[in-house]
Amino acid sequence: MLSRDGWGGLAVLAASLLLFWGTLGLKDNPLVPIGPGFYPRIVLGVTAVLSLWLLLADVFASKPPAASRREPLNYRLVALTFAVFGLYVGALPYLGFRIATGLYVAATCALLAPPRNAKTWAGVFILAVLTALVTYLVFERYLLVLLPRGRLTGF
Amino acid sequence: MFELLGAGLLNILQLKYLMPLFIGSLIGVVGGALPGITITMTVIVVLPFTFGLEPLQGLSAMIGVYVGGETGGLITSCLLGIPGKPSAVATTFDGFPMAKNGEPGRALWLGIWASIFGGLLGAVFLVATTEPLATIALAFGPWEYFSLFILALSMVAGLVESSLAKGLVSGAIGCIITILGNDPVLGQERLTLGIPFLSGGIPFLPVLIGVFAFAQIMSEVERMGGGVKAAEGVDRGVSLAVSHVKVMWEIVSRPFLLLWSTFIGLVIGVLPAIGGSAANMLAYDQAKKFSRHPEKFGTGIPEGIIASESSNNANVAGSLVTIMAFGIPGDAVTAVMLGALTIHGIQSGPLFISQNATLAYGMFAAYILAHGLVLLVLLPGVRWMLHMVTIPKAMLFPVVIVLCVIGAYALNNTMDNVYVLLVFGLFGYGMVKSGFPLAPFILGVILGDQIEINLVRAIMTDSNPWLFLTRPISGVLLAASVLSVAAAIWQHRRSQKRLAQAAQDDAADF
Repeated sequence: MLSRDGWGGLAVLAASLLLFWGTLGLKDNPLVPIGPGFYPRIVLGVTAVLSLWLLLADVFASKPPAASRREPLNYRLVALTFAVFGLYVGALPYLGFRIATGLYVAATCALLAPPRNAKTWAGVFILAVLTALVTYLVFERYLLVLLPRGRLTGF
Repeated sequence: MFELLGAGLLNILQLKYLMPLFIGSLIGVVGGALPGITITMTVIVVLPFTFGLEPLQGLSAMIGVYVGGETGGLITSCLLGIPGKPSAVATTFDGFPMAKNGEPGRALWLGIWASIFGGLLGAVFLVATTEPLATIALAFGPWEYFSLFILALSMVAGLVESSLAKGLVSGAIGCIITILGNDPVLGQERLTLGIPFLSGGIPFLPVLIGVFAFAQIMSEVERMGGGVKAAEGVDRGVSLAVSHVKVMWEIVSRPFLLLWSTFIGLVIGVLPAIGGSAANMLAYDQAKKFSRHPEKFGTGIPEGIIASESSNNANVAGSLVTIMAFGIPGDAVTAVMLGALTIHGIQSGPLFISQNATLAYGMFAAYILAHGLVLLVLLPGVRWMLHMVTIPKAMLFPVVIVLCVIGAYALNNTMDNVYVLLVFGLFGYGMVKSGFPLAPFILGVILGDQIEINLVRAIMTDSNPWLFLTRPISGVLLAASVLSVAAAIWQHRRSQKRLAQAAQDDAADF
């Protein structure tokens, strides 16, 4: 059975071989001695060899018994945090920076430390509004960075 | 040189440069003091604010963050027993016991003054060596550059403790990122997978921000809600007053320890992409080995604090040497600085110091002055910093991520960079969970283009591939790459044998 090193090696090997195959379609130019595929083939070839090494090292390694006690990790929270961020990135062009950022900060805050009473909800709300407004003012007004406007909101 | 440095110091003393340097130092101290917020993350947060500033203003702010962060990390290490950042881990070993033994002020200020001394000794090295090293690098042709970059990658991969193969694969993946897009000779599209955005290649800053920020934040998020017990620190109302002359004397009366730890920090800093976390552990280990009373280490002795803190601040100077002389980032923070330079259209590398003398000497001056400013922040504010650690991460992380988004978006005002941020945020977290080190990956992303350009230039100048080996400097650099990989394999096998032996001994005990 492969460990995470073995699976990692296998994934990188597959990706590098797939991309290597992709470089075979690149056409060389007779005017220059080196074509566009020259360096990518070297990099992908070296990566394939290295990932094969990783894979084989894992296959032939004597695996120590798994540690019995580990700190429990909250992967569900990680997945949800990524999902909220994905929604934020997706919503930015439609809602605009100020609205999307306010919603994102409030949602992530509430996700990471669920508010228990009206006071903590107020804290989340204030942080969300302040983050959206302060970053907008500092970057748009002072640093002249044009932040995304919403296609739906025009804001 | 001294004339230019003097001019640089006068330049930085102008309010328009001094202010960003001070604010950067303040933010750095706070970021360094907050456990779970690394200096890399702090400098990433500061990055978007520098876009609208002059290059020297922006870089001064970043240097302030860097120096402040290295010093700020020791506050929680000494007073709470929680390292504020990885490069302050070794400070905890003696700083916290000393504080618990009733001398929190001594522990804290020994660390702060050792940081200042180590950093300023590092400044001497920074100013004295950067220009001569850049002059040597100017004599390099494409063969030497190619070999230098290969050496940098192989060294970083080789220094990964867990697995050499993983370090090398990680560096290679970084190089793969750079082959997507147009080739540098004819501009022909390659491996763009039909995505128009990829034809211009993937910009490295959103990759760097995504990988480092999300890897760090998500690694903290996965531990949230687990009911982790807060560390028992010293009483927050306890006096931190101390005789500064006495504390300084404790440091300077150990000149060998101070100089050796500083030297270790500088060497680790000069080596690409290793960082202060290795420097402070190595310096602590060396201090223990050279000590006449190694058994006292870990009980709260000044030597442990001085070694750790002088080395991690000197490490900053070493990292700056590498980026300013060769254009190779010494660690993740200098990689972000490299990005800031690129945004302002400044090419780092051997020509940097001769073509941008005002900027380069301004950076030296900023580095020197940052130590004084950090002291200025800490003298009245050290107790206040201790209260900063109570800021809930649930409130801090979304704000940090918003600033990361702005940093990526503002590079060229397109959402494409934000999508890159999201993709590489996931990718970076995946790499961490699969045990692939991030440092070689980022170095691969940064150097991949340069490796290709120099390889192509070398072959187009002379198609004889043996020149990479027969040109003396190039040959030596490539031989050093092979040696570093061989040394890493040897070291890895030795540690595996030790582990196996220890496991056998444990089994025999039962």
